[in-house]
Parts: sequence; C-alpha cells; structure tokens
Amino acid sequence: MRRLSLTAFLAGALALALLFPLTTPLRLAAQGVDVFLNVTGGGTRKLNIAVPEFAVVNGTDTGGVAKQLATVAGDDLTFSQLFSVVAGTGAIPPNNPEALKKAWTDFAAAGAHAGLHGLATFRADRVETEMRLYDLTTPEHRQIATKRFDMPPAQWRRLAHKIADEVVLQFTGEPGVADTKIAYVSGRTGQKEIVMADYDGNGPAPVTRNGSINLMPVWSPDARSVAYTSFLQGYPDLYRAFPFERRPAQTLAAYSGINSSPAWSPDGKTIAMTLSKDGNPEIYVLTIATGTFRRLTRHAGIDTEPTWSPTGREIAFISDRSGVPHLYVMDAEGAGVRPLTSAGRHTQPRWSPKGDVIVYTQRAGTHDIWAINADGSNPRRLTSGPGDNQGPTWAPNGRHLMFQSSRLGGWQIFSMLLDGSVQTPVTRGSVESTSPSWSPRLP
Amino acid sequence: MITCQASVVIVSLLMALAVGGCATQQSATNDPSATAGYHSGAMGSRHDGPGGTSGMGASARPRLSDFIVHDDLRDVHFAFDSYEIRATDMRILEKSTQWLRAHPDALVVIEGHADERGTNEYNLTLGERRAKASMNYFVSHGVAASRITVMSYGEERGMCRDKTESCWAKNRRAHFRVKAN
Repeated sequence: MRRLSLTAFLAGALALALLFPLTTPLRLAAQGVDVFLNVTGGGTRKLNIAVPEFAVVNGTDTGGVAKQLATVAGDDLTFSQLFSVVAGTGAIPPNNPEALKKAWTDFAAAGAHAGLHGLATFRADRVETEMRLYDLTTPEHRQIATKRFDMPPAQWRRLAHKIADEVVLQFTGEPGVADTKIAYVSGRTGQKEIVMADYDGNGPAPVTRNGSINLMPVWSPDARSVAYTSFLQGYPDLYRAFPFERRPAQTLAAYSGINSSPAWSPDGKTIAMTLSKDGNPEIYVLTIATGTFRRLTRHAGIDTEPTWSPTGREIAFISDRSGVPHLYVMDAEGAGVRPLTSAGRHTQPRWSPKGDVIVYTQRAGTHDIWAINADGSNPRRLTSGPGDNQGPTWAPNGRHLMFQSSRLGGWQIFSMLLDGSVQTPVTRGSVESTSPSWSPRLP
Repeated sequence: MITCQASVVIVSLLMALAVGGCATQQSATNDPSATAGYHSGAMGSRHDGPGGTSGMGASARPRLSDFIVHDDLRDVHFAFDSYEIRATDMRILEKSTQWLRAHPDALVVIEGHADERGTNEYNLTLGERRAKASMNYFVSHGVAASRITVMSYGEERGMCRDKTESCWAKNRRAHFRVKAN
C-alpha cells in the first residue's frame, strides 16, 4: 500500500487536517483493543478532486461506460464525505503529457487539490482500467498512485467502486466502502424476500425467491453468505444463503420456537443467535463446522439480538430482565453480564466494526437510532424523525450507517454518517425496503 | 440463484428420516429435544445431526397445514406492548378450554402476533409471549401442555393493514388453530 506522503504534500496535509477536525481525532477504543481514526460528521472541509471522464485506451466503448465510470467513482467519493468532486470535463487523452498538464493546470486553478485520471480498455470479456492519482498542489502535478483493476463488462460498476475505494485508501490509509453490497428485505406483509444490491442501491437481485416471509438478513464476515430468518417451513427458522454461488440455502437452526437474530462472530466460525427452544428467548452460539450449540444466557427474561465486538471477546445483546428492554454486554462465554443502558426502550444493537461505539434503536413513541460508547458513556441521538428510523447497520469502516426510515411514507433504506449527518435515501420505489445489512468489503 | 425450496425439501426429507416418522406430537415449547436443529453441508446432502440435542427420539414440529381455525377458539387481543390476558379475553379462553377438554385428542397451535410498531426482532419475542400467555391459561386449566404448540409471527401476518390504532389493536392477538385427531 502506498500512502500519501504528507510531508511532501503540504496542501494535502492541510486538507487532511481539516478532514479530521476536533472530533476526537485519535483515540483508544473503550475495551483497549483498536486504535483508529474517528472520522465523523459532515460539514468538515473536503479535499477537492477532479474526476474527468475515463479515457478509452483500447477497444470500443459501446455502452458509454468510460463516462459512467467517472460518474460512479465521483458519486462514491462524494458519498464518502471526504471529497468534493470538481465538475468533470471530457476525457483527458491517454499518452499525452501536454494535454494532461493543461487539464490539471486548469483543474488546479479551479481549486482542485487532486486529480483522478482513469484509463479504460474494452475487451470482449473484460474491462480493464487503470487509475492514476495526481497531487495538483505541486507544480509538477506529482503522481501519488497508480493501480489497475479489471472486471467482466457486466460488473463495470465494481471497477468504479474499486477505484474510488483506492482513492480513499491513498488519502486516509483505509479503503473506502463503495465495493460492498447491501442485503435487505423487500416486500409487504405476507410475502417478503431478501434482496441484495450494490451499496448505492444499484442492481437489486434476489437472494431468496421462495414466496415465504424472509426476514433480517445478515452478511457473513467473508461476504459470501447471508444468514436470515424464514417462515419457509411455517416456523421462524434460521438459514443461510450463498448469493454468489449455485448452492442452496442451508438450515442453521430449526428448533421449536424462535430461531432468529443471527450475528456472525468476526472470524466467521460461529454464529450467535436467539433460540427460544428451552422455554424463552436465550442467546446461543452455533459453531458452524460442528453444528454444536452453546447456550450463553440463562434468564427468565428475554435475551436476544446478540452483536459481537470486533475482537470477538464480547457480545452486546438486548434483555428485558429489568422489565424493559435494555442493552447489555457480556463476554463471549456468557459471563460478566453488565447493563449498558438503563433508561428508554432499546432494541437492535449493532457493534461498530471499529469497536468503540454501539448503535441501537430507541423507542419513545416512534423509533430513532442512537449511539453509545462501548463503555456505556455518551448516549446520543443520531436520528430525530420524521417517521420511524430503525434497523441500523454499519459500513465496514465504521464511518457510515444505513437504516430503514418511514419518513417518506413506506419504509425505505437511508444512509448517514456516524454522527447522524447527511441522511440520504438509498432505495426508492413503491415496494418497501427494510432491515438493511451492509456487507464487508467484497473479496 | 438460490434455490431454497429444493434445499428445504431435502432438509425436510432428512428430518423425516432422522426422526423415523414423527408419529408423536410433543409439546413444542417445553421439550428441548423436540426438533431437529442444524443441517450442514453443500446441497443439503449431509446431515450433521441436530447440534446440541440428540437426534434420536426427536419429533418434528407439527405440520401447520394440518391445523384449521375453529369457531369455538376465538382470538384474544392484547394492549400495546403487553402480553397480559385481559379479563374480557379470559372468557374467550375459558370457552376455548372447554372445547379442548371436550376434545382430548385435539392438538392446538397458538400463533402470537404483534402490530407493526416496534422492531421485527422485538415483535417476534412479543408474539411468542402472547402465545405463551394463552398457553399458560390452558395448561393452568387442565389442558396438557403436550397438546399445545406455540409460535410467533411477530408483526409479519397482520390481518389489518391500515396505520390506525383500531387496526393495530386487531393485529395484537393470539390466534388458535386445531387439529382434531
């Protein structure tokens, strides 16, 4: 990985300093596990980046893909909230240093700090791209990075996403989250199917097609399978589907009572879940390789909705043992249970992939999404209506969230930043979309 | 694409084989060994056994399509976010109990339902509690627990779809279906 040299890129460094403003720029996670950059919030100063149309180096671009590659990559960079995309122009021709110099000089004059030169070659079975990233604040327009990606033509959007993620990597040290999928529930009462789409809502495709009620999808850490609850056999059972393979769904748990709320351990080897087979909802951990279950909670109240810390050492969950559903944390063996919240009614906890924050849904008449530090400090509200806002899911970088909102009428999926800013629709249409699960970065 | 149906047919066959015919209906809620649980393997071709329980002697859950609504077992309804049986609904359950005692071979499935407010996960547990509250009434009035299966649909099978309190009230219910043996 080649990172931007900050000392050699003074203006860039200034821009970066503004990107990571006074919002606790560097801190230790509550459990002392992860050091991370806590980049939150909109409204910070952004790096201006020029993204002209990609240049066609070879082959015939019958679909106008070169132009769309720039558009999609630009949208991804905009979504990251780290960049402001400078209005595009026609393609800068390949192998033409004079044209490149003139284009970057013009963009720099217009305020661009960086330039992304995309090159595309169209073959029958592949689209090959090269991205070249330039520092426009230096007189010689120093090249920061180059990288090649290729994909089958039908998956050209992934090329744009990969390029955008690489640009984010070059400027922040961590890849972007554009080359990811979301799984969600599509449909109304009585028939609900699991659908997956790109993170920006493009290209929805079925994950289930069984005519039953399918609920609460959750991506596995390898982004190859989706666990979900289905009434396929009449009862709420747990399955997992393999949406990229010709492989049927696998039954994970089909016990009497509820089989729900799957949560993959970070290593992907076990799944915590809620089973009520022993009388009332309790949390169990299934070891996938052996099919053995281990019971973690023993309480007359409801214990449900487990979510793992990114270290795999702790599990947060919802229990109504106090009489009202609240957020609790225990170690991965089920010991050391301690409450994290004690006021309000809480469900749907989701532990940040960075470890420091847990988001959840609070009901107070309507539902809104809140966040709390993993040590129980600083509960804060992320959404304030309109309508109900619930079902949060984290982006793999812990900076973005998606959730379902009824603010426009029927349920649709929205995204926002970790501080609740920049709430933006992801899905649209007459069919309701609920229960989003944001995948890890695709392999 | 995923072919869940095919897989589940295979899994169902495996379950039937594993339990040797499933002749006996058991209490679905109180017997931890009452079902097969976990099935692993590509194409559903391998049966790893039901995880933490013994596969032997386990019974499949009753087939829901065998159960029908009966006029003498009417729905009971619940207050918002509550699973307490209300006094008026006690009389409904009393009548249902009489029917069940008069038909000692009949089995009953109790479905718990929630209105659409609340999160999916929470409503699944709330629906189960409503079904169990109804079951507890039956059991405390002399109906064998082994005749009763409780299940929850959460908010997924609302009979009324308007976003009004009267509609939500209709959806907060326990629903009964019977199979006369």
